[in-house]
Amino acid sequence: MNWGMALPLMVLGSSLIPGLMIFFLSEEHVVARTTLNLASAILKIVLIGGMFWGMLHGYHYESRLALLPGLDLVLRAGPLSMLFVLLSAGLWLVTTVYAIGYLEGSPYRSRFFGFFSLCVTATVGIALAGNLMTFLVFYELLTLCTYPLIVHRGTEVARKAGRTYLIYTISGGALLLLSTVWLYTLAGTLEFTERGFLSGLDTSVHPTLMLIFALLIAGLGVKAALFPLHGWLPLAMVAPAPVSALLHAVAVVKAGAFGIVRVVYDVYGIEFATDLGLTFPLAILAAVTIIYGSLRALFQDELKRRLAFSTVSQVSYIVLGIAVAGPVATIGGLIHLVHQGVQKITLFFCAGNLAETLGIHNISEMNGVGRRMPWTMSAFTIGAFGMIGAPPLAGFFSKWYLGRGALDAGQDWVILILSGSSILNAAYFLPILYIAWFKKPPERWPAERTFGRRETAWALLLPPVVTAIMTLLLGLLASAPFGLLEWARLIVSRGAGQ
Amino acid sequence: MELILEGVPWIVVLIILPLTGGMACFLFPKISKSLGLLTSLAVVACVWGLGWQLIEEGAQRYAIGGWGAPLGIDLYADGLSLVMLAVAALVGLGISVYSSAYFSRDKANHFWPLWLFLCGALNALFLSSDIFNLYVTLELLGLTAVALVALADGAQALISAMRYLLVNLMGSLFYLLGVAFLYHSLGSLDIAILAQRAQPSPAMWAAVGLISTGLLLKTALFPMHFWLPAAHACAPTPVSAVLSALVVKASFYILLRMWLEIFPMVGSSFAQLMGGLGAAAVLWGGVQALRQTRLKMLIAYSTVSQLGYLFLAFPLGMSVAWRGALYMLLSHAVAKAAMFMAAGNILAAGGDDRIADLSSITQRLPLTLTAFSLAGMSIMGLPPSGGFIAKWLLLEASIQSGQWWWGVILLLGGLLAAVYVFKVVGHVFTQAEPKLEARAVPARMEWTALVLALVVIFLGLFASWPLAIMEIGSPFGEGDSG
Amino acid sequence: MNVIVSASLLISALGLPLLLALPALHRRLPWPVHIALLPALALVFIPVDLAIELPWFLLGTGLGLEAGSRWWLAISVMVWGVAATFLLAPDRRDVYHPQTSLFLLSLAGQVGAVLATDMVGFFAFTTLMGYACIGLLFADADETTRRAGRVYLVLMIFADILLFEAMVMAAAITEDLGFEMLAHAVSLSKSSALYLSLVIVGFIFKLGLWPLHMWLPLAYVSARPATALLLWVGPVATGLLGAVRWLPLGEMAAPLPGILLLAVGAVTILYVMLFGFVQAQRKQLPAYIAIIVTGSFVMGLGAGLSDPALWNRYGDSAPIFIFTVGLGLAIMIVSFELSVVKGEASGSKRTDWTALKVERWFEAFVDWGRRTGVGTLPGLRDSWLARWDRLWKKCVWQKAFGAGEYFLQRWSFAVTLFLLLVIVTVVLLLLDASPVQ
Repeated sequence: MNWGMALPLMVLGSSLIPGLMIFFLSEEHVVARTTLNLASAILKIVLIGGMFWGMLHGYHYESRLALLPGLDLVLRAGPLSMLFVLLSAGLWLVTTVYAIGYLEGSPYRSRFFGFFSLCVTATVGIALAGNLMTFLVFYELLTLCTYPLIVHRGTEVARKAGRTYLIYTISGGALLLLSTVWLYTLAGTLEFTERGFLSGLDTSVHPTLMLIFALLIAGLGVKAALFPLHGWLPLAMVAPAPVSALLHAVAVVKAGAFGIVRVVYDVYGIEFATDLGLTFPLAILAAVTIIYGSLRALFQDELKRRLAFSTVSQVSYIVLGIAVAGPVATIGGLIHLVHQGVQKITLFFCAGNLAETLGIHNISEMNGVGRRMPWTMSAFTIGAFGMIGAPPLAGFFSKWYLGRGALDAGQDWVILILSGSSILNAAYFLPILYIAWFKKPPERWPAERTFGRRETAWALLLPPVVTAIMTLLLGLLASAPFGLLEWARLIVSRGAGQ
Repeated sequence: MELILEGVPWIVVLIILPLTGGMACFLFPKISKSLGLLTSLAVVACVWGLGWQLIEEGAQRYAIGGWGAPLGIDLYADGLSLVMLAVAALVGLGISVYSSAYFSRDKANHFWPLWLFLCGALNALFLSSDIFNLYVTLELLGLTAVALVALADGAQALISAMRYLLVNLMGSLFYLLGVAFLYHSLGSLDIAILAQRAQPSPAMWAAVGLISTGLLLKTALFPMHFWLPAAHACAPTPVSAVLSALVVKASFYILLRMWLEIFPMVGSSFAQLMGGLGAAAVLWGGVQALRQTRLKMLIAYSTVSQLGYLFLAFPLGMSVAWRGALYMLLSHAVAKAAMFMAAGNILAAGGDDRIADLSSITQRLPLTLTAFSLAGMSIMGLPPSGGFIAKWLLLEASIQSGQWWWGVILLLGGLLAAVYVFKVVGHVFTQAEPKLEARAVPARMEWTALVLALVVIFLGLFASWPLAIMEIGSPFGEGDSG
Repeated sequence: MNVIVSASLLISALGLPLLLALPALHRRLPWPVHIALLPALALVFIPVDLAIELPWFLLGTGLGLEAGSRWWLAISVMVWGVAATFLLAPDRRDVYHPQTSLFLLSLAGQVGAVLATDMVGFFAFTTLMGYACIGLLFADADETTRRAGRVYLVLMIFADILLFEAMVMAAAITEDLGFEMLAHAVSLSKSSALYLSLVIVGFIFKLGLWPLHMWLPLAYVSARPATALLLWVGPVATGLLGAVRWLPLGEMAAPLPGILLLAVGAVTILYVMLFGFVQAQRKQLPAYIAIIVTGSFVMGLGAGLSDPALWNRYGDSAPIFIFTVGLGLAIMIVSFELSVVKGEASGSKRTDWTALKVERWFEAFVDWGRRTGVGTLPGLRDSWLARWDRLWKKCVWQKAFGAGEYFLQRWSFAVTLFLLLVIVTVVLLLLDASPVQ
């Protein structure tokens, strides 16, 4: 069997086929469903690990399917793809465990886990996409697969959130389609090439290319929650916590940010984009989003909404890293892709734990929760400090590289944005920690469930602790060989041709 | 094996087989169901045979009775006809399977002969190379369709069937008038010969205008679409599917043929008019679909909207645009059939199809709703479905030719479609309790809808094959890039 | 010295307190803090200079001990031991003391800061120590102490950001952030002025120099004296160590910053002497003395900055100075602890107005944001859209579309339209064709 062609398809199939199978299981088949879920998650990680190992040894993995004459559906494994796909698969396993614990006893679990698996399939497809067409196909599929997850609960609020989500994402998808077709007619190809494939075009089309870039950013910016296209994100918080965790840490927002990385690096090429003057407006937009998201987060009392606005702010760090066109800043953006994913998922897991175990949804109800749920709040503390950027946690290194990159590229104003954002992050995270650890707990929690001597169920406790430890390790061992930094340096050196 | 495939005149078999089947069903009503299913399967096999023949030998021309044109009548099959035949056969098979479980005994006795006659008329239409022959098949098609619509009970059904009949007659009348003008000025009825002899003259323009408008009426282009929703709402479900998927496409096919072969020199303002009407259809149909309270009416207006897309290819005029329109035709046929079948299932289960009450029914019919959603994906133009491929091709054409406003219409139509599709699909995810007194829907009906919906998805993934087949015999003209 | 032994000593000096910070572990041991201090104690008394490199950690860091930092380590060990003895009662083993974990965490941070050999490591450990100390302040029962903690938190965050920027600048100047090479490299670079200003302002925030010194006396009002001692050895003394390490003393002459530091130090001392002593309570005395000491140290730093030669001659005595001062403070505080303070001095009614005002403004800001949060731009847009949507859906458009469809379905209308279409078509075609003919 030709592994080169089969392995990407197998990676995709490892969650697609179990997902379709799960749809046919009835509600009572808990064991079968759990087994399918976990087995497919583990299988996926094994396959991706194999692909990674193969890629390091020089094997080439690519699957093609002719979609239209002249355009293929391509799945290819490259350094940037592997970064995102490893993040997705790893966090998916953790989220599956969490979701199994969280949704225990809720209705429509088969439907939920079926769409859950489809969602990850779409994310892996986005990661492995080898040209803009494949990216577009899986991007739209992601929209369709995440909608049922958002409206899962079926309440009026959930349905309204789902409606808003669709309005935003389908409009964004239409813009993305338009710009993709336009690019295809201008350039004749859509393959992701390392320095971009648009620099060879005639100078007369440059204004058109600038317009197309704006359309692309608008289409991708909806999912990446750039201001002012971020409106769906706080509303989508009505979804169950595993969905929020997956959406915000891994799937949807990261897909948008990843798309922007791809567009700037593999479609336009960073030098060409800088020559056209496209990166500066993008940096401004990212900076505005960062500050705006942090400010809105400050004003929220509901925990998940505060975390949602924090996501809006943090994902723009990635875009800022890309837009400050320098290798060091890009390293910062890329490692922040991973760091923000791991940290945010920790925070959402903890928020879900608080809601499930104690019925807490607002920060004002969180007095003294650290005594009752120490492990959860310790994980939350680590995640929060990572977000603020305190060493030796992972978030510090993202900010380090972003700051250095900004200095190297001569864009000193970015440092101001980073500082302001850190201050705002501290302003809205530290009060939560203070309230949780140092205030007196109330007489009774809003809706408590006891789990014997443990603070909460194992399936709910283990994932945030694991991801908190990952945050710690990512920061502590940042310079280790085969670590994330090495990987990001490799991607940037290949992409920037330096 | 090859000898059989080569030797048999599949063209003729394709026409004769359904007609004989229809007569047999009429004569032997007891076994009409099995006969009908068998005939549909056989038609699929014949199309496959014809396809094999075309791929091996190129476009086929068959002279009936050995008399070639201009004296005799020719039958002509190229890539375009093959694609239409394939879609008709596939959707026809689906509808046959669906109807075998849908109709009760007495209705079925009427249904099967009419349905097979309609199949025969369709096949003959797609294979005709003679404009008068086209008129005959068009009339046969119209009459059988009207009869099928009238199969439903009630005064409302009769009224809409009568209206449909009148519309058919009016359209055919104008078409015949145009044919008469053409014959008078050019002296032949065969399309190939007409293509050679065509000269611009006032008679010619009059003929073009009459033929086109007659066909526009039958294809339900805005504002001539008024008969479509009423006919769909009252007809039985399989009949609605046939109407939306196949019957309106037949007149479009004739228009396409005429446009490609005989009228290519026509100036651009008429094409722009058709494009403008198509755009209006897209928007009007979309908005009307949003306002509907009943599911079948919503789907009917969706058809009106999607048909508008087909006409956007006329002002664009490039090979890419024709292929896009044709692919849109294909995917819409299959997707709409699947959608109507899903609606029929919901109707059968719940007794009525009011959208507001869908929440309680949809919980019980997961397969049906999956079919509806997948078909909806194609209607919206989201990947990976046939509708997406078509939308891509049309967008490519509109950008390449510089007429970007048609592209805007395409995108807007997609957004409107998303709104009304999700209006229905959103009812699945509610907290409503499943209705207790829902009737059981036969598995055959649910699975047929689902299989057709999956075909649409496959059309989206393996598009290069149908697109290659379309090019056999180069119906869209040689040398066109794109 | 054997590499393995030195490595294990250095790592355990850090690792043991971190490990014991887990509640499960330290609950089972008597005197957990003193046990955690043992490796550090060993390090103090081993007369050899040690250093190890940890290239995998952080951005490539290391731990080491040399002559100067040995004094700092000595005073740290002593102060932590003394504080632990008084603050954590050893006789009740299994009672959960949240303070113990925080205590151990700040201990680990402080020791790590002393042992760190490069900027990033130092920064990481001081951050840990800072937050843990603030946690200790927050855990106290008294509101004044907690306010002190809040004030110091804000100051620390600002300081950290400034020092972060300084670090990034230093990294832009030189790749290697080890302290040995740092001073030399910075003195040679062009942007040293910006770097110096960032560092100085940052440390002003951290050290409790005038005008940002309020938190220290506040904390001393109600905190236990032992905690107060911790506050000195932790944030302040380690901050001074940081200033010594980060400023390129002895390598370059920077007269302007030097004079600035001199001025700040002098003003601090004067301010305290003039205003502080007048209003101080007895318990706050050590705090003010600590501030004076800090001020004089900073003056020394300023002098060293303006005149490198001066620093080179006297700079080595800085650690010893700190050691003696620390010793003195410790003795003073121990005496406070041992002598039972009869009759608490009346709580100072002079609340710290500045801090309170800032806090009020901040809370008002958050409230305003919360109230208008719904009505800010996107919210406005959404609600407007919804209203527009409802209005139009209900009235005009529905009627228009309904009427349109109705008319289209009337036979007369439809047939008229159809015939119109035919005529228009033919006319268009004729018009198109005429230029051709």
